[in-house]
Amino acid sequence: MRDEYLLAALRMAAGADPAPGRVSADARAAFHLRLPEGIVATPVEISGPRGARSGGGAPDIPEDEGPAVRRFAVAGLTIDVEAVVADGRLEVAGQVSPASGAETDAGPDSGPSAEPGTGTGTGWQVEIRTSHLSKTRDLSENGRFAVGGLPTGWVSVVCHRPGEPPVSTRWMHVRP
Amino acid sequence: MREVTSMTVEKSLGCLDQAAWEDLVARFGARMWAVARAFGLNHTDAADAVQGAWLRMVENLDGIRDPERIGAWLVTTTRHEALRLSRGRRGEVVSGHDLPDAVLPDPAAAIVDADFGRHVWERLDTLGEPCRSLLRMSVLRPEATYAQIAIRLDISPGSIGPTRARCMSRLRGLLEEPA
Repeated sequence: MRDEYLLAALRMAAGADPAPGRVSADARAAFHLRLPEGIVATPVEISGPRGARSGGGAPDIPEDEGPAVRRFAVAGLTIDVEAVVADGRLEVAGQVSPASGAETDAGPDSGPSAEPGTGTGTGWQVEIRTSHLSKTRDLSENGRFAVGGLPTGWVSVVCHRPGEPPVSTRWMHVRP
Repeated sequence: MREVTSMTVEKSLGCLDQAAWEDLVARFGARMWAVARAFGLNHTDAADAVQGAWLRMVENLDGIRDPERIGAWLVTTTRHEALRLSRGRRGEVVSGHDLPDAVLPDPAAAIVDADFGRHVWERLDTLGEPCRSLLRMSVLRPEATYAQIAIRLDISPGSIGPTRARCMSRLRGLLEEPA
């Protein structure tokens, strides 16, 4: 008999602290975050930070600095994600590899990660999802992405590729 | 805990419709919240723990093989998320990716129920002091600091943890006695 379960039962009987309405609303809304036919990538341990913000592994930051990168992988696709909170908002950067690597012009919504004159045009996109807001970006040719202005809390990155099932990271908790 | 929901057992979780999902929220949301708050989490962290459990369900819909025990799974997963958040707030290093392993529904989660809670209150009120007051505070004021509890109950802050553990043990003993 776990103490927390006993305390929780006592709390429910006391009726003094019901779940706030927004908690229930978020729980109901989570239904729409399902990814039918999607594949959830598995967390993979990596050694040391290797931030997309620092150039995807360029040795310009010491090993013990910078945000931690979390890696998720499925057969044939790896998603690296680093998430930080700045001024109370969530910033997410990362890299999908292998990148689509197409040599076509950038689309109009290539997002902040796209480098001028590159971009994909192959339809590869990343969707950064939170419980309340999602943002989608075309993936740049090198597979990097960066999105800011998101609410803190839970976040997941989804890679969309034409003709392939979407691949998502597991949900990560990021709050200061 | 009544486990059978409007979602039929033979229907896999992967094809849950919105009504069935909302039924789960209505049925188990309060239990999940109570568990998260029982860890002493503030409202923001408790809300994150509960939402984390729902999002784990989102990412595991096809992997949950026992829909009859989905309530226990949700409560157990909330406990895992709350524990992880609680440890993080205490500055403890959380290993790996911070991501819990696959959660198996804990049958003990069935006691998270208001009816059972009323039964526990009856037993709690038979405890002597300081157990009765200390456990009442633990239940009703989960965010109270040890300093606040110490002043209120006139005991030393250093003795609160061990005393509470002893009191919980006594309460569990009372609950195991025949009614």
